[in-house]
Amino acid sequence: MALRTISMNSWSKFSPMLSSAFRLHSHSTSFGFKEVHEDEKSELVGKVFTNVASNYDLMNDLMSAGLHRLWKDRLVSELNPFPGMKHLDVAGGTGDVAFGIVDTIKEIKHRAIEEASEDHFTEETQIYVCDINPSMLNIGKKWAIERGLGELPSLIWVEGDAEALKFEDNSMDGYTIAFGIRNVTHIEKVLAEAYRVLKRGGRFLCLELSHVEVPLLKQLYDYYSFSIIPALGEFVAGDRESYQYLVESIRRFPSQEPFASMIADAGFQKVQYENLVGGVVAIHSGLKV
Amino acid sequence: MYRTAAKRLLIDSFRTSKTRLPTTLLTPAIIIAPRFSTSAANQSLNFHSPNQHNSTQPGAPKTATESPSESSSYSSASSSSSGTAEGETYSSSNLRPPRTEYKDEQARILHASLRHVTRLGWTEAAMMAGAREVGLSPSIVGSFPRKEAALVEYFIDDCLQRLIDIIDSQEDLKNLIPSERISKLVKIRLEMQALYISRWAQALCIQVLPMNIPTSFKQRAMLVDEIWHAAGDVTGDIDWYVKRTVLGGIYSTTEVYMLTDNSPDFRDTWAFLDARLRDAFDLKKTMQEVQYLAEAVTAGMGGPMQGLVKRWYETARHGLGLEGLVLELIGQSLRSANLVVLGQSMYQSLDGLECTRSCSDKLGLSIDFVAHAICLPPADQVWNSGGFV
Repeated sequence: MALRTISMNSWSKFSPMLSSAFRLHSHSTSFGFKEVHEDEKSELVGKVFTNVASNYDLMNDLMSAGLHRLWKDRLVSELNPFPGMKHLDVAGGTGDVAFGIVDTIKEIKHRAIEEASEDHFTEETQIYVCDINPSMLNIGKKWAIERGLGELPSLIWVEGDAEALKFEDNSMDGYTIAFGIRNVTHIEKVLAEAYRVLKRGGRFLCLELSHVEVPLLKQLYDYYSFSIIPALGEFVAGDRESYQYLVESIRRFPSQEPFASMIADAGFQKVQYENLVGGVVAIHSGLKV
Repeated sequence: MYRTAAKRLLIDSFRTSKTRLPTTLLTPAIIIAPRFSTSAANQSLNFHSPNQHNSTQPGAPKTATESPSESSSYSSASSSSSGTAEGETYSSSNLRPPRTEYKDEQARILHASLRHVTRLGWTEAAMMAGAREVGLSPSIVGSFPRKEAALVEYFIDDCLQRLIDIIDSQEDLKNLIPSERISKLVKIRLEMQALYISRWAQALCIQVLPMNIPTSFKQRAMLVDEIWHAAGDVTGDIDWYVKRTVLGGIYSTTEVYMLTDNSPDFRDTWAFLDARLRDAFDLKKTMQEVQYLAEAVTAGMGGPMQGLVKRWYETARHGLGLEGLVLELIGQSLRSANLVVLGQSMYQSLDGLECTRSCSDKLGLSIDFVAHAICLPPADQVWNSGGFV
């Protein structure tokens, strides 16, 4: 109870919408535009992703016209991976970001062999893909096999909850969460866990759909989100509800600045964000020192 | 002015080296950072607060408005273990030690990385080795705005700071003539790079990349400014830019010469430097002669001519020197034949050919044209021979 009061004070500064949700029912949270009990949200989200898992990547391609690949590439290049890195990709699901990191490191290793390389480079790279939903992980493992990474010891698939990670303190060089933090029940818990598992000098990177402020683009984006995407979901995946949840959850998620403040509250320094496509997507980053 | 700017650049070297992305990349960082700056007040509060925290932990929350206490009571509620709180180790415990600023850590990393540069070059690999040395994850290298450029810029700022310290401490500079002072300072500065000379070409390439040019240009400008200031330059007019440009050119060519110099202790480089400075300072000797001539000529005329000649003389003394004089003459020659005759007599009294040659080089005009312009009495004929650049 005491905890909620403090977070309510800090949240109310940033998001009046969310604080009013708190006042309604102290244990309620948002599921799209609906209010649900916290304990339910996790289950509801689980259902959504189990439903969309098989079409997840196809739908991503359709909804973003393939741009999501570029966004994830940008995330990976911001991360600046290196051989020997221990990385955790949370809500990694179908593994896009993890594959990107593996490819980048392979390229670097290839170049490093030509020059005199350090002993550190022969340390084993470990990329953990953590997701709460087993269906998404299975799809990811399938993609890995198709890409020829099925037997790669560096790529490790873990089922786990972002709010209660099973990794040790100070064990990860990097932490990414791409299009996942919107779906968690307690954002600040996830941020705190991220802070905990990162080493000193480790970086937190979050790729998420965010708020558009550019006037004309905003109207276009709203129209596209609420009229076209659910229809697309119904037509391609036969599931309008899940995609309605998707677009609503984007609107309920804190916008760039409040989210950056939350990251800073978790203890990260050098918190910055970069808007892609005018704010449709934002990459937030923080440094643990 | 230069000193405070240099210190600011050194301390805030990362702020100035941030690239300008077309998004609001910087604003949130600036908004958020002040809340977490380690002020003395925060520090003292942190040291005293542990006792208070421990006693009130199970009970009602503190109505503290400070964010560190908020988050620390949060983290204590999620029952994370209380780790050690000494020095700069940062743990998720309820005790928050004085917060290590990321900028300090970045500076430490860059300092440590310099030791790896001779082996690994000005690369991310060197920075990662530096990060490992300092005890931080190599991931932090990804947070430097322009990675290798940050390392090079840090080194150059460091060299500038060392140069400033040397200038402040060395009194014997005053005993040398300006050109020797400059020679000595440039030599001292270039010797700081001698350690990395095997990798300096790479550093220069990094500096020349378009995204790094603004910062490297600024650093060079500050260096040249500092050297001139130490050499006793007090001009404030247009001459200021010319002097700095000239010295900047000399410095850069010497730096590049040094890359291929294999002589012991870079003797050839210093000889090259002295030769270049001599060329640049050559004009100074002829200034005396110009002064005497101007005085002699004005004695024979009167009134407005004296004012004009004084102006020429001032230009010659402070400005571009002899070339300034010639330029003035050419300009004036478009308006009055008398002035041209005067200029002609001045020109002929000095080493005419040398003057013409150096003027044509530095002004970018052909020798013929310069010779013509000075000797040709009628104004329209000067104009007709093609004007001047």
